[in-house]
Amino acid sequence: MTRWTTKRQSGQEPSKGSRTLPRWSAASEARRLPTQLSRRAVLRGAGGAAIALPWLEAMAPRRAQAATGPVKRFVVMFSANGTIPSAWAPTPGTSETDFTLSPILAPLEAHKADIVIVGGLEQKGGGGDGHQNGMGGMLTGQMLNSGPFAGVGAPPAGWPMGASVDQRIADGLAVPTQLRSLELGVQVGSADNWGRMIYRAANQPLPPDDDPASVYGRVFSDLHTDTAVLARLRRRRKSILDGVGAQFTRLSARVGSADRQRVDAHLTAVQEIEKRLTTDLVVNNPACKNPTVSAVSATANDAFPMAGALQMDLLTMALACDITRVASLQWSRSVSQTRFTWLNITQGHHDLSHRPDTEPDAVANLTTINNWYAQQFAGLISRLKATPDGAGGTLFDNTLLLWCNELAKGNTHSRQGAPYVLAGSAGGALRTGRSLSYDGQGLPHNNLLVSILNAMGVPDTTFGKPDWCTGSLTGLL
Amino acid sequence: MLRKCSALIALSALLGACGGDETVRETFPLCADDPGPAPLRRMTRFEYGRTLSDLTGVPASVADQLPPDEETLGFDDIADAYSVSSLHAARYLDVAELAAATLAADATRQTAVADCDPSAGDATCVSKFIAAFGRRAWRRPLDADELQAMQQIYADTADPSPTDGLAGVVATILQSPQFIYRPEPTTETKVAPLEPYALATRLSLLLTGAGPDDALLAAAESGGLDTESGLLAQTDRLLAGTRAAELFVHVATQWWELGSVPTLDKDRALYRTWTDATPGALAEETSLFLADAWQAKPNLAALLTAPVTFVDADLAAYYGLPAPAGAGFQRVDLDPARAAGLLTQGSFLAEHAKADQTSPVLRGKFVRAKLFCSPPKPPPPDIVVRPPDVDPRLSTRQRFAQHTADDRCASCHLLMDPIGFAFEHYDAGGRWRDIDGGQPVDATGDLTGTDVDGALDGVPSLAARLAGSAEVANCTATQWFRYAFGRAEQSQGDLCTVAKLAAAFKGTNGDGDFKKMVRATVRMAPFRNRPPEGMQ
Repeated sequence: MTRWTTKRQSGQEPSKGSRTLPRWSAASEARRLPTQLSRRAVLRGAGGAAIALPWLEAMAPRRAQAATGPVKRFVVMFSANGTIPSAWAPTPGTSETDFTLSPILAPLEAHKADIVIVGGLEQKGGGGDGHQNGMGGMLTGQMLNSGPFAGVGAPPAGWPMGASVDQRIADGLAVPTQLRSLELGVQVGSADNWGRMIYRAANQPLPPDDDPASVYGRVFSDLHTDTAVLARLRRRRKSILDGVGAQFTRLSARVGSADRQRVDAHLTAVQEIEKRLTTDLVVNNPACKNPTVSAVSATANDAFPMAGALQMDLLTMALACDITRVASLQWSRSVSQTRFTWLNITQGHHDLSHRPDTEPDAVANLTTINNWYAQQFAGLISRLKATPDGAGGTLFDNTLLLWCNELAKGNTHSRQGAPYVLAGSAGGALRTGRSLSYDGQGLPHNNLLVSILNAMGVPDTTFGKPDWCTGSLTGLL
Repeated sequence: MLRKCSALIALSALLGACGGDETVRETFPLCADDPGPAPLRRMTRFEYGRTLSDLTGVPASVADQLPPDEETLGFDDIADAYSVSSLHAARYLDVAELAAATLAADATRQTAVADCDPSAGDATCVSKFIAAFGRRAWRRPLDADELQAMQQIYADTADPSPTDGLAGVVATILQSPQFIYRPEPTTETKVAPLEPYALATRLSLLLTGAGPDDALLAAAESGGLDTESGLLAQTDRLLAGTRAAELFVHVATQWWELGSVPTLDKDRALYRTWTDATPGALAEETSLFLADAWQAKPNLAALLTAPVTFVDADLAAYYGLPAPAGAGFQRVDLDPARAAGLLTQGSFLAEHAKADQTSPVLRGKFVRAKLFCSPPKPPPPDIVVRPPDVDPRLSTRQRFAQHTADDRCASCHLLMDPIGFAFEHYDAGGRWRDIDGGQPVDATGDLTGTDVDGALDGVPSLAARLAGSAEVANCTATQWFRYAFGRAEQSQGDLCTVAKLAAAFKGTNGDGDFKKMVRATVRMAPFRNRPPEGMQ
């Protein structure tokens, strides 16, 4: 079987001790399994010849995706603490398609025809401090509820009042995938509203998984578990989760309304993982392979680039295998104190982001950091372009990517002119190769979120807080 | 003489009226007028891992596979902050299956649980296993419906072998809300005493950070928790165990903001002796110090002032201390002119510093916010906050001079920086220094706006003042209340409880005894009673 190996950042040596991770977590099952059996891939050959195992042949329903157009996918990438607007904004030319990339966005030169730079919008947000409400409003277009997290100079705030845009897109998917969405992180760390951007609904943050090894085990389990074992495991888990759900249902009827919300939310979560047991993974893409991941620390500062590269590899493969169609990658968190030692920058990112514009070394270092994130975004685009889509073309052709930040500028906490970069056309819905500036128009970023929904085939006319949103973003699609 | 606190009296009056006199016999439970809300609590990762380990033999570290607990008010157990997602559910499933498989492979433990060997599928013994394991895991006997539901799980999953069925039952029990959460369902329509099993659960998690053991469940079953003497006997038994010491380390570590010390890093070009092993060693030093204090001298003065610590040869070399006699970490005496408990440990000093310089602001802010419960206001929103550049020609004190030169900064920074300057003999990695920026260190400072104001020179002078402060003792009781009840203090009843805890903590000698405060907690009405469902 062909091994799909991880790509690495240029200049980085592969870490020692590269290994294939345990293929299946329950120790008893692992002991029973002959290793070679569990490596049999469940996938279809290039010509559609089935090499899947018998249960798949018998049980898997065929997806009717041809009838509904191409599979569309949506990917969000986040980086923190604002940008240096003067080093981010492209130099305009004679038209929106005639522009010169800025020092920060220069790494996107190879993809210039495939991106849309969107400047001049106000990233709305409210409740809590600037980092909190920037993070919470970024993808939801909503205020934060009051809550337990005490920010700086503001009343304590909780979670946003609505779902994030990616979850709305997941709502609209006609065909259920094994995972409704996939949240990946790189050293996101603790659980609070500075560190969460994806929301299933109001007050329901979806935590990112920071550990590539853990992502591998959970997301790709059906690819690296022998099919007979998998079928048995599914039956078993169905019994167990049915039993668990019954206990939650029983308790729900016995507690007061505030507690009932918590109990019911947990029940919903149990039911979501149970759904995966009845959603067969049907792989129509020869590019889908069981990945291997190298050992990497999920917490050590200097492992940040390596962990991120692995997460991007895994994200790409999850799309290739159609395990999910909605994914996100969150680099650190708002108020990130990542130290970019690999760029010879030793001051913590947030401390650096607070230094004034009059200090050239701080501006230069922040430019370098944001340029590095542009390289990562370019790397994610390259991965998608390099991976065939089972239906023809590449994964990138039918994907829409969004790179966003909780602030426009770190030292003022301003969100006016927050830096958005879109990439990919979502199957031709978005005209790319453009730089758009909405400076001075007073438009909310909610409108961008509406247009993203429209590009993804969701026909909504408003998103987020209704009195912030004035419709779709004129001129984008 | 009986005296009872009125919930209508303000906190300050309560402290005066009711505090400090242990000779007063008081009604039991205390502060009974208003128990405050009792939101549904979830076991923290810490509690979940320890409890799972007790039940199945897996290492407690399996809990690291769960998403992190939400943290607010400085603690991991604040019920209002929890969220749940399908990632949580997926991880609970994975860990429950791992624990179930571990137990299913351990015939000795199965037999110990069931008091017979259920592994061959003997129906009577399987029933005994289900009832006994369920009772330990759910912290109460299962009712008939629950037993029947688990029998059905056994029947559905005992394929191919009976131990598969046992594992199926265990995995179900460990993912159910009766295990993961701490439900206390009640049909009462007014505030009423908790039923004994729920009280046992509160007691065990409070004192040991793990679910009840067999002896505590037996006490609950036999009425042993219904009297003050019975409850206190179980309390004292649990407080004497190592689990209680570990719980104290866990709580104090969070209170002192040291939870992420193991992943700290420093600018290695400036702090050349800092290695990958340093942060873990600093965290270990503090854990050992706290556990020792709990066993030997569990009082606030010891935490703040004791000139002792724990080092191994590598950490001794890091600090510039002589290597200890004996292998591994050893208790060592330090120079009392320099050292003062947690305040001079590398973990605290490095956590409350930047990667490339010390931070009088962070150190002073910690003292205000976490020891006096009086956090300074944040900077005005229009100010560009900027830590000063590292400049080898200037001392930290000189570089922070702008804070006091600018009137808008000075009002708050005068509350923080002059405390933080007293720490200046300790660099950002927690090592002693005599020279900073080419100049002799000036560790003078000033403590203002407290009940122990005065001039400072070095950390021991600060520590002595803090150890004698009633405000610090009251704040310590407030921190403990938040952890113990998993919520912020909010009602008059809560203020009564905090005042009682503070009084017990201070005792007649004002010595700040943690064990006395913990012991007083279980006598409180909010601990022993709960409001009706929906009254939150």
